[in-house]
Amino acid sequence: MKKLYSNKWVIFTLVLPGVLVFLFAILAPICLSVYYGFTDYTGMSEENFIGLDNYVQLFHDSAFGRSLLNSLLLAIGFICIQHPLAIIVAAVLDKLQGKAEGIFRCIYFIPNVISVAVIAYLWKFIYNPDFGLLNNVLKIFGFEGQVNWLSQQNAIWSVLIVLIWHGFGWGMLIYYTGIKNIDPVLYEAASIDGAGWWTTFYRITLPLMKPVIQINVTMAIISALKQMETVYLLTNGGPANSTQFAANYLYQQAFKAFKYGYGNAIGVIFIIICVAVTVLLNTVFRDKQEA
Amino acid sequence: MKTGRQKIGKAILWVILIAVAVIQLFPLIWLIDFSLGSSNEMFTSGLLIIPEKIRWDNYVKAFVDGNFLLYLKNSVLINTLAVVLVVIISIMAGYACRRMRWKLNNFVKTVLLLGMMIPIHATLLPNYKIYHSIGVIDTIWALLIPYVAFSLPQGLFLMTGFIESIPMELEEAAVMDGCGIYRIVFQIVTPLLKPSIATVAIMTFLNNWNEFIMASTYLSSPTWKTLPFSVLEFTGEYSSNYAVQFAVMALTAAPAVIVYIILNKHITKGVAMGAVKG
Amino acid sequence: MGGTKNEEKLIAALLVAAMSVSVLAGCGNNKKESTKTDADSKTNTSSEAGNDKEDTKDKEDDSTGDEVTLKLFSNLPDRKNGQGLVEQMIIDEYMDANPNVKIEVEALDEEAYKTKFKAYAMDGMPDVVSIWGQPSFLDEVLDAGVLAELNESDYADYKFISGSLEGFKKDGKLYGLPRNTDIMLIYYNQKMFEDNSWEVPATYEDLMTLCGTIKDAGITPIAMDGGDGWPMACFLTDLLVKVAGTEHSNIISNAISTGDFSAPELKSATQLLVDSAAAGMFQTGYDSQDYGTTQNLFTNGQAAMYVMGSWDASMALNEDIAEDIRTNIRAFTMPVVKDGKGGANDIAAWNGGGYAVSANSAVKDEAIKFLNYMYQPDKLSKYGWENGVGMSAQDQSEYMTGNETELQKQIIEILNNATSVSGTPINDCGPSAFKTAIESEIQGVSNGSTSVDDFLTTIGAACK
Repeated sequence: MKKLYSNKWVIFTLVLPGVLVFLFAILAPICLSVYYGFTDYTGMSEENFIGLDNYVQLFHDSAFGRSLLNSLLLAIGFICIQHPLAIIVAAVLDKLQGKAEGIFRCIYFIPNVISVAVIAYLWKFIYNPDFGLLNNVLKIFGFEGQVNWLSQQNAIWSVLIVLIWHGFGWGMLIYYTGIKNIDPVLYEAASIDGAGWWTTFYRITLPLMKPVIQINVTMAIISALKQMETVYLLTNGGPANSTQFAANYLYQQAFKAFKYGYGNAIGVIFIIICVAVTVLLNTVFRDKQEA
Repeated sequence: MKTGRQKIGKAILWVILIAVAVIQLFPLIWLIDFSLGSSNEMFTSGLLIIPEKIRWDNYVKAFVDGNFLLYLKNSVLINTLAVVLVVIISIMAGYACRRMRWKLNNFVKTVLLLGMMIPIHATLLPNYKIYHSIGVIDTIWALLIPYVAFSLPQGLFLMTGFIESIPMELEEAAVMDGCGIYRIVFQIVTPLLKPSIATVAIMTFLNNWNEFIMASTYLSSPTWKTLPFSVLEFTGEYSSNYAVQFAVMALTAAPAVIVYIILNKHITKGVAMGAVKG
Repeated sequence: MGGTKNEEKLIAALLVAAMSVSVLAGCGNNKKESTKTDADSKTNTSSEAGNDKEDTKDKEDDSTGDEVTLKLFSNLPDRKNGQGLVEQMIIDEYMDANPNVKIEVEALDEEAYKTKFKAYAMDGMPDVVSIWGQPSFLDEVLDAGVLAELNESDYADYKFISGSLEGFKKDGKLYGLPRNTDIMLIYYNQKMFEDNSWEVPATYEDLMTLCGTIKDAGITPIAMDGGDGWPMACFLTDLLVKVAGTEHSNIISNAISTGDFSAPELKSATQLLVDSAAAGMFQTGYDSQDYGTTQNLFTNGQAAMYVMGSWDASMALNEDIAEDIRTNIRAFTMPVVKDGKGGANDIAAWNGGGYAVSANSAVKDEAIKFLNYMYQPDKLSKYGWENGVGMSAQDQSEYMTGNETELQKQIIEILNNATSVSGTPINDCGPSAFKTAIESEIQGVSNGSTSVDDFLTTIGAACK
């Protein structure tokens, strides 16, 4: 038995496909990015090795700074708006019994399965100041002014709303599952003690949900960093880079401004940031759990 | 007194749930509503319209000019292949890393899981170069490779967890019967992993179904274009006809929504299982 | 404008004159000598790519009947109206005439097109592509040698307006052919103007006042595609023409070569744009709305005016647009500004878009054959005219029937009366990093988030 389980050849064949995929589709492009990041390659010309010039330039690039700031804003938005809402709705939904529960859960998740391409274009129309849904709703409530949802000041928040709307069902579902996993005995005990809904929620649900919340918060921050597709179609980083994100910016620089080398430098820094943040969050949360 | 308060509580509860449901659904209802009208009806100020004439031909245009069937077929095919590959590769690698005895098992597993941290879009530029040099640009491989690569870490992560929870006894018995490792993996362990396979499949599908940046960068001819292209191409093609644009959006969204509603229970369970673990 | 023979000749002559001015003026500095010598000399190998092997000689005589697939990459996604329709008509005709040839079209919106074009330029392009004969687009592309050289003498009787080919040349060699003569216009809804007794403004101050009046009437004065950046840059160019007169192109090329955009003319033109936007000249959210949305605002009667190039003149024949609007579309050019050196007939116009063939195309001969087919005077140019697209880059006088739309007649008149022509708009005069910067920053300056000075500094920095 031992022999069978330590057969090198068998092990090799089992892990080979996975390792190949990793080497070819993840490691190789990263190495290539690192290489091009040190060059002034435009995409077509000969490349010249220019050392750290791209990284120095990146350090002073306000648009890149803005894109990191935007990721931060987005993460804060997710954590402070989407997640509290999702937890509350999940807790409320948990109280409901029977068919309605399933129906609501199903409805909340629907936007999640719709393609980002559709979502982005749909919201472009919803935000349209002249005939968009949102301004028409405001009109019903008596506001007259045409709100410019995608203006330089508002755009990043409008993007946030779209993402919250789109991802709400996902977050809700995870919290909902977390709540369902809580031992009902605890609630019974609480209700015998005469605790109200809020106390139960605050004293039992929230603390027991801590690991789930941590996972969700980590995911929110990562997805805020990785944001590209919605922004690419909704605003393409505009007006004036106010909704720029790292992934979108590197794409623009490489394929629009003919700075393929610079785009790759952005990519390298972007990867480093993502890895660093993930590791950091995992460490922080792990320490907390142990404490 | 108490029942009164409970009633109010119940009412608040319903209000919250319904409000959220309206917010989540209304944009889609709006979309369908206007897709049945004509373009200039957009500029009315009401929330919804009752189209003067229901224009099904908007959908006919969307269906035909949007290459709906071809793109749907491509989407389904590419995503199914990606799912199958991710499942098989992750079972194999997961089994090797968890059950087999070798020195590097943890190292290899960690390396493979690293992929979870790498932002997929950072590989767009170098991959474009690589795929060109090996000639897979504008082929199905240009999508399959990254789709599999970036779903694999998550799949592997989930799989290793599930494989761990399978009792060893079954395998021991199989070994006694003279089974080889491959048979153990594919005939004994795999069937036991059914619920986990469903989870991995659903997560992979949801990850990749909506992807289009890579598709739009790596593909040029319609042969392998995926469903989001119907929408992307239409905005230019019918830039002056909003109603048709709405129709194509509704049409493109429909397959996933319909499948979701039918399989709702399974998908929800799968996502819940996968997300909580992942 | 009846269209007598004499008049037609005059038009042709004026077009010629106008466009030669354009070339002399437009982005003057970066162009060296452009004598049309040795187009087919093979010793002169300044282009890096291997596009000089089998060049142009045997292109007529290889219609062997082998199956050939041509890939055409186009910036005209709307295949049922205007320019896109014209392109598609010619493709269909060509495929009918040459059953062995199959032409596959990939068409994307302008912005998406340009991005993907650059991705293609890295490694292998489709066979026939849309291009722009402007430094921001073409310089880097030509340096990389991805476009096939064309034999200029082949086009002697294609009736190209003199000078229109210049933007498509490098070191005297021709790499592409122009499709249009583009004029920046302010389209307006004549019926709406008449109903409200609004007058076409003679000065920019009048325009500002008019916009105020229109706004008070609850209508959007001007629909501006600010989400894309380039239409505003064209608008800025137009303003600069009015501020600085014919001097403007020197100012632009100096600024771009030094990275110093502090010239007073640049400042005051930008300031005019900022003031106009601040006064509410454009629709709410103009800085985030795309081409289609903006055009629809105008064609649905929500906006009184619309800033766009003459290629959009085909709106007048677009069946998707309600008849009482489409037949009432008229246009005027940027009115003069106070104390400006540019006169009413100094207009912003250029030969921008066109086509080229990929240097590394496997079916280059067939591709060039198709390109030449498109440019036969009775194809692009004629069909374009008949479908209400603005002016082509070829002499169109013999296709003038007198049945043109009112809008087309106006455009002819505008060109007729032009005393000078701007050449390449400002955003296209520099390298593509500059283009990317100005098209993004102009949104910020127009909506007041960045100051004029900061704007000029930032775009200057992108030139270095």
